[in-house]
Amino acid sequence: MTGLAARGPLALSRPWRAVAHLVLFVAAVSILLPMLLVCATSLKPPAEINGGMPWPEAPTLSNYAAVFEKIPFGHYLWNSAATTALRVSGQMMIALLAAYAFARFEFWGRGLLFALTLGAMMLPHSLTFLPTYLLVSWLGWFDTWQGLIVPNLVAPAAVFLLRQHMLAFPRELLDAAAIDGAGPWRALWLVVLPNIQPALAAIGILLFIECWNEYFWPLVITESVSSMTVQIGIRRFLDAERGDDLGPLMAGVVLVSLPALLIFLWFQRRILETFVSAGLKG
Amino acid sequence: MPYVLLSPLVVLLAVFTYWPLLYTAYLSLVDVRLFQPDRYVGLANFRGLFHSPAFADAAWNTVIYLALSLPLKVLLPIPIAVFVWCMGRRMAALYRTILFVPTLLSFVVVAIIWIWMLNPVIGQFQSVLHLLGWQMPAVLSDAAVAIYVIIGVSAWKVVGFHALLYLAGLASIPRELIESMRIDGAGDWRILRSLLLPLLSPTIYFVSVTSVLFTVQHVFTPINIMTGGGPSNATTNLFYLAYQMAFESFNIGFASATALLLFLGLGALAAVQARLIGRGVHYQ
Repeated sequence: MTGLAARGPLALSRPWRAVAHLVLFVAAVSILLPMLLVCATSLKPPAEINGGMPWPEAPTLSNYAAVFEKIPFGHYLWNSAATTALRVSGQMMIALLAAYAFARFEFWGRGLLFALTLGAMMLPHSLTFLPTYLLVSWLGWFDTWQGLIVPNLVAPAAVFLLRQHMLAFPRELLDAAAIDGAGPWRALWLVVLPNIQPALAAIGILLFIECWNEYFWPLVITESVSSMTVQIGIRRFLDAERGDDLGPLMAGVVLVSLPALLIFLWFQRRILETFVSAGLKG
Repeated sequence: MPYVLLSPLVVLLAVFTYWPLLYTAYLSLVDVRLFQPDRYVGLANFRGLFHSPAFADAAWNTVIYLALSLPLKVLLPIPIAVFVWCMGRRMAALYRTILFVPTLLSFVVVAIIWIWMLNPVIGQFQSVLHLLGWQMPAVLSDAAVAIYVIIGVSAWKVVGFHALLYLAGLASIPRELIESMRIDGAGDWRILRSLLLPLLSPTIYFVSVTSVLFTVQHVFTPINIMTGGGPSNATTNLFYLAYQMAFESFNIGFASATALLLFLGLGALAAVQARLIGRGVHYQ
């Protein structure tokens, strides 16, 4: 019987097993190979960039220094880091309060408001960007951090996920807190929050990655170094590059990708679990 | 109390989501003029769109994008997920990590990587083909192929993520169900057809709905970076056209009318999906 268990969920005949290995191997190579080539090129000195071996023969970090000299990469990083931190904290605060209201209270208009919140998931920027842009400009927020942050402070998926976690939260604990004299406010901070802390962290990480990688809105709303994010910065670098700055461009690509990759590797299990629950409940 | 908690959410949703939606509808019916009040023009913007070749190209491309992307993004990840599921614990964990990586990269980075890979002069494919004495074709400036390249690149970005969603669905299927089917003499195909796919149907529905939005919206970035909608409108879609009308030709009426038509089209598609797939969804 141990043989049966070890065979996995499906029996998979020998040829199918080979197909499975082949398909996954090809998929893995198609994902990893371009990334390895980018990393290798980012380490090549200028003489090796075109032609030569795929790997650097005299590896150097000079391309990484060059990104900061050729474009105001440090400014872009600062804009991205600061606006991402502010926006994600705002999204988490707003989603936390809203999810608590949806999960904990019965009130007039609850169903409608929740439907409108979920509906916002189906109303992406592609449909509403123009009035939002006009409004943000009218407010004087064009090319500012506020312009990047404020229109994006609602994360409907975060509201939905946090509400799910709060609904799964044992009611008796809340009742016990109420008997001990804790109001709903104290119950939120002292009882609910510590218990859903893992979910909060995972959702925060996902929002971070989404915001860090965003392209469309920063493209529309930023114009100068004072608010431009790394994604727009690296795109501009691509446009300006005429074949002689390939090394620094690739170094920039690595630097732009590093934060999300490192955070993922660090919190891998937790992130995958959150995606899992997000997918199943959708 | 709940209203206080909800007030930030409600205000922001009203100002930055629902008011813009209504205002888009309004803008599609007027002629916006500098320093003068807007002039009501009825359906003139829509009539103008229907007579514009660029709109016809964008609408047709949007259909092509959806028709080719949906099978790639919805169906292709299913066998990948099943295969990972059948791997040993170690291999499965490794593949899970690798499959998630394109989700972490920004679309800007993905677009830059593939522009570079495909470049006919300095690209990585060229450096291999060169050894064989062949020449890499300039796929991104070829109006007949460019759209397929963008479809491929945007599939590359999400197939792994969708496979992970399916994998999560598979992992939640009780092993006893599978074992008992096998004891009854069912082979892999039967287990797949009559147990696994029905149990995955909620995930399939979810993935197909989000893939529509993803295909219409996120493909903006590779279009913008890799081809700019060209060559000669070969890769543009309705969202990209609305963006260009708004920020390149400053035609607010046309841009709003395009966005509104896109909204109606997406709504209709979601309704069709709810009927076709949603009805077949099997909840455990």
